[in-house]
Amino acid sequence: MSNTNNKMPENLTSLAELEDAKLASSDEQSKSQSQIVWGRFLRHKPAMFSSILLVIIAIIAFTSIGYGPLPGWWKASYLEAGVVVNGGKPTLSLLPTWLGGSGIQWGEHPFGQDSVGKDYFALVMNGTQKSLIIAFVVGIVATFIGAIIGAMAGYFRGWVDEVLMRITDLFIVIPLLVLAAVLGQIASSSSGSIILLALVLGLVTWTGLARLVRGEILSLREREYVAAAQAMGSKTSRVIFKHLLPNTIGVIVVNATFAIAGAILLESSLSFLGFGVQPPESSLGLLISQYQNAFTTRPWLFWWPGMIIVAIALSVNFLGDGLRDAFDPRHTGHRRGLFSFLKNRKDRA
Amino acid sequence: MWKFILKRLGSAIGVLFGASLLLYILVINAGDPLSDLRESNAENREYLMQQRIDYMNLEQPWYLRYWTWLTGASRCIIGQCDLGRNINGIEVADLLGNAASSTLRLVFLATVIAAILGIAIGVLTAVRQYSGLDYLVTFLTFLFFSLPVFWAAVLLKEFLAIGYNNWLANPQISIGTSIAIGVVLGLILQMFLGGSLKRRGITFIITAVFVPLILQYTLWLNFYRYPQMGPAVIVVLTVLLALSATAMSVGMKEKKVLYPALISAALVLVAYYATFSLLQNANAWVLIFGAILSVVIPGLVGWFMGGRLKRIAAGVSVTVGFVGAGLTVIDHLFRAWPGFLEVKGRPIATIGSSTANLKGTFWDHFLDNATQLLLPTILLAIISLASYSRYTRSSMLEVQQQDYIRTARSKGLSERTVIFRHAFRNALIPIATIAAFDFAGLIGGAVITESVFGWKGMGELFITGLRAVDPAPVMAFFLVTGTAAVLFNLLADIVYALLDPRIRV
Amino acid sequence: MSTMNEENYALSFDDLKVTFETSGPEVQAVKGLSLQVRPGEVVALVGESGSGKSVTSTAAMGLLPSNAKITGEAKVGNVNVVGLDQGKMRKMRATDIAMVFQEPMTALNPVLTIERQLTEALELHGIAYGGEATNRAIELLTMVGIPDPAKRIKQYPHQFSGGQRQRIVIAMAISCDPRVIIADEPTTALDVTVQAEILDLLRELKDRLNTGILLITHNMGVVADMADQVAVMFQGNLVETGSVDQVLMNPQHEYTQRLLAAVPRLTPVEIDETATHTSATAPVGRELVLEAKDLVLEYDMRGSTFRAVENVSFNVAKGEVLGIVGESGSGKSTIAKAVLGLLPVADGTLAVKGHNLPKLSPKEARKIRKDIGVIFQDPAASLNPRFPIGECITEPMVVHKVGTKQERINRALELLDAVKLPRNVINRYPHELSGGQRQRICIARALTMNPELLIADEPTSALDVSVQAVVLEMLQDLQRDFNFACLFVSHDLAVVDMLADYVVVMQSGKAVEQGPVKDVLHAPQHDYTRRLLAAAPVPDPVLQAERRAAWRELNATK
Repeated sequence: MSNTNNKMPENLTSLAELEDAKLASSDEQSKSQSQIVWGRFLRHKPAMFSSILLVIIAIIAFTSIGYGPLPGWWKASYLEAGVVVNGGKPTLSLLPTWLGGSGIQWGEHPFGQDSVGKDYFALVMNGTQKSLIIAFVVGIVATFIGAIIGAMAGYFRGWVDEVLMRITDLFIVIPLLVLAAVLGQIASSSSGSIILLALVLGLVTWTGLARLVRGEILSLREREYVAAAQAMGSKTSRVIFKHLLPNTIGVIVVNATFAIAGAILLESSLSFLGFGVQPPESSLGLLISQYQNAFTTRPWLFWWPGMIIVAIALSVNFLGDGLRDAFDPRHTGHRRGLFSFLKNRKDRA
Repeated sequence: MWKFILKRLGSAIGVLFGASLLLYILVINAGDPLSDLRESNAENREYLMQQRIDYMNLEQPWYLRYWTWLTGASRCIIGQCDLGRNINGIEVADLLGNAASSTLRLVFLATVIAAILGIAIGVLTAVRQYSGLDYLVTFLTFLFFSLPVFWAAVLLKEFLAIGYNNWLANPQISIGTSIAIGVVLGLILQMFLGGSLKRRGITFIITAVFVPLILQYTLWLNFYRYPQMGPAVIVVLTVLLALSATAMSVGMKEKKVLYPALISAALVLVAYYATFSLLQNANAWVLIFGAILSVVIPGLVGWFMGGRLKRIAAGVSVTVGFVGAGLTVIDHLFRAWPGFLEVKGRPIATIGSSTANLKGTFWDHFLDNATQLLLPTILLAIISLASYSRYTRSSMLEVQQQDYIRTARSKGLSERTVIFRHAFRNALIPIATIAAFDFAGLIGGAVITESVFGWKGMGELFITGLRAVDPAPVMAFFLVTGTAAVLFNLLADIVYALLDPRIRV
Repeated sequence: MSTMNEENYALSFDDLKVTFETSGPEVQAVKGLSLQVRPGEVVALVGESGSGKSVTSTAAMGLLPSNAKITGEAKVGNVNVVGLDQGKMRKMRATDIAMVFQEPMTALNPVLTIERQLTEALELHGIAYGGEATNRAIELLTMVGIPDPAKRIKQYPHQFSGGQRQRIVIAMAISCDPRVIIADEPTTALDVTVQAEILDLLRELKDRLNTGILLITHNMGVVADMADQVAVMFQGNLVETGSVDQVLMNPQHEYTQRLLAAVPRLTPVEIDETATHTSATAPVGRELVLEAKDLVLEYDMRGSTFRAVENVSFNVAKGEVLGIVGESGSGKSTIAKAVLGLLPVADGTLAVKGHNLPKLSPKEARKIRKDIGVIFQDPAASLNPRFPIGECITEPMVVHKVGTKQERINRALELLDAVKLPRNVINRYPHELSGGQRQRICIARALTMNPELLIADEPTSALDVSVQAVVLEMLQDLQRDFNFACLFVSHDLAVVDMLADYVVVMQSGKAVEQGPVKDVLHAPQHDYTRRLLAAAPVPDPVLQAERRAAWRELNATK
């Protein structure tokens, strides 16, 4: 059913002619699939709001204390101890004076200070940097491995599929947290690099995506345009990379975001248990672990890192939700789409 | 169907074997098990090192060590587990028993609660897609997905446990607070019950008025320290349930359903007095046996009196009987509560899986276990509930688009029948597979939960084992969780086959 | 016209208008429809995609989604169901108005037994309970011709064939004695022989129960076979109504005339018992492009092999069209797949231009592929949604590394002209085109490399009649111009008759009859071919009545 059938010439009496007339008179700009998806994404309010929040968090985290050799605009360092002022209480205030607050201001130590007087804002920003880096590296590595393995299993079927899927099962039967903890222990005992930790975590979190992409490819390869491409003599690589994978982009992109959200939580869980980021580096999970018993005395040491984790994970999840709605406008919970939504959460710790 | 299940079991065992090899290799390469001794200044350092090497077979190559473990572990099939010794020379099999039972109890309970509630919420939100309730639940599930377990655990500990315990010492709710609670509950309830604007308004007003009154009344009774119910309340509640269940299923005019339901309610009262002294000094078997009877007897009553409606009659009677039995147990718990508070002044625990050296009756231990389990179970259930509800919602929405749902509607079936008889069973099919996955994931979550709540469970076995690069406890952990995951998967396959005749035949 | 409701109609519409609110502009699906169905009468509602015929029927059932705005009247008996309370509407379903759906494969709940699905309506509407309901359900199954109903009633839908499932859906529809049954394309998903049986069943039940039937269909043959009255819809408007003889034999509206003209027809069949025709004797001078000898094709079904095609031989020469006809599961599409290299040849030879495909190296096979073009059935799935039309058409050139970028664009423009589509389509995307237009793009893509062989696998069966006519005509013209050999797979004998020179009739993997079209389709020897020919309805009520009689006779002797 077309929405333009009102302005159609009334005198046409053949469906074929009517359709051709519509096509010839249509002056709408052609939109590719990705343009349409993008348009829908931009209209998804929670997702847009989340994206903005995420970008703000990332900008503050990386510019405030600087990254590597690059200096930041925040004066305090996360490594320097100092004098504990006012019991280390946060100086951040968001309540204007006319409402009885102390005015909107950052103050000396907006997030307070820890027990040795380190600026907690700098510490939390450092942890946020680590968490973001790990999450994105894990997301990229896991997506890459998962997409390739899933595509191979789905395309070749038969014994290739059997072997790849049994390997996937191997990773699934060991609880993700356990496998990640063991690998985290290996990574942190061999070198303290967080990139290594992230790569290692990426090596164990691809399973959900692999299964999803496999399922998607299995159904796509029955499509006639794939048969047509094979029949015209296309090479296997062309069929996979031009016809199959681009059409699973929805599943892949949506899952990558959920994988990133999952990775944030996984990293923080590992650091909390002591198998992730090691001191003197800090991460949000590590900070919570260090200060979980300070809850009654200095609750801000516990609240700030936790709230940042929730803010990041929640934004990424909403972002993924917006992407899924954009890719699958039926809006009614596409089975595969939702499968994807869960798959990353299933082994979530 | 058996062929299908055996095939699945076979491949699962193969996968389990492969995974154990992978994990073993990874764990023994996760560091140096002797590092602490190498740095130690103890005089008998050499002796200690040699002893540890002996315990852990460190002088053997990795494949021999794995082989030793595998042969030992495979003897579990004949009931003689040899899971090796840990770093201190203690037999791991001895450590495992208690740890496994407390962890599996936690995970199992959380899974069951999460599955039941999650599926119910999922169905409700699917039926009311795009309602306020749907948006609220969607937001909450996203929030739960984004919560770090350990962080949420600390919050629960602080606010729920410590807060409640403090409050219970001297229960007080101000008038203002109770009105606020009433208003909030009213808002939530009208969302859940739904209906027209008028109906929602009535629901809201009734709740907002009654809840504060009940709160103040119960405070006046000192209900929270001395709760009581008594047979009169039980009878009123079960009869009300019998009437409403009949009305909702077939309507009050169907005597074939109404009578067995009322008879079941009467049986509950009889049973209350008949079992009173027995339940005073109950044990687990009495409870289990009672639970079975409370299903079987009303079921038979319904079945034989129901005539052409025997299925519905049996269902309604069983509901009445089982709920009645549950109320009876709650009544006994209420009676035990003041005594329990005397032995355990701060009931909701934040540490450990049971209180050490607790002296008291069966009910005291029952309450103790329940209060110790409460927080970790809530935590795990909340997380997994989010995924169940989300998944059920989408599965239901998908099924509702199917042609056979349109066929069912075209027969004139009511929405309720369409949803429960036609849509729900089909929607459950994919959920059965999810449940199996979720179970494995929850075990991971349990490791963290146990660590926060200081349980001596499997999580601790794993964490200390891994820190010390000690494969035996880690592998024991994997043996239990892996087997549990495989069994759960198998269960899911069976449920799957039961739900879907296309596989069965 | 129907406001004076003197007569007791089973179903009547008066100025029914349905509008859908969408995110864009409103869509008017039905623009004022008035129509009556009397008890015991079949009214056919005919139209192509977007005509609003299915919306009309769904409105009568009260099953339209909530974004539909309905005005006017839709009366079942004397009750207007437009705006009727949901509870009252539910009571009327099954007892007053029932429905038979298009897709028997998905219309039954897969997890409930047939018994449960049949008895629930009986119990709900208080007709029978428990064992009595089961007995009544068995009776219904007997009535619709399910063998051994007492045993089979315990089974699940997947244990029945498509035709049987449609019978069960019909049993469900008649279970509560409705005044009117809406049959929405009840036979479209079925094979012709099954279709003939189902139509027979519907006709018999209607006479026995005196039920009115609103038959929704796009198939003019089915209309001629079943209907008493015909209403033709186009783009939401009712353009013509009248008795079946009036409308089909002497159509007044231009749309109806053109629609009828577009229906491919088989010229009458003369069954000559004595004549014989030798199959596939090649006249001299034929330049063979495709040749199959004792071809055997197998599917791997989880370990066990299923033989889909057995010992089939045929050949196609340059400039010829070979039709392969048969019902679903006959193996006709499997042959097309094998020629395209999508399925390995299990035994026998399959040669393209003298090269035996199973013996070729992958590289040689790829070279051969250059000379084969393909058109598939489903226009929605045969173009990659992420490729603009230009890239779709020139993909074979990219695959075989032919031509520069400009040459490829020029070729695409040339081909767009050939399939009569505007040149600016080159930058559009498949989702912006209608089914028929996409199928023309597929034809263009198939012709990109000037193939010597074209494989067309049911290229028009998903298209509307008038669109099909355009596509078929185009195929014929192009075949004349480009002079390629063509393997044309179809279930529609009339289409094959129109297009092909030779034909192979397939039944469960075997070629039961083959030879020149004029012999096989106009003087069939094999019983199966005759049955196929007799089962396909023609859009002429008088002729169809004769054919129906002949079909019954043929079936009776079987």
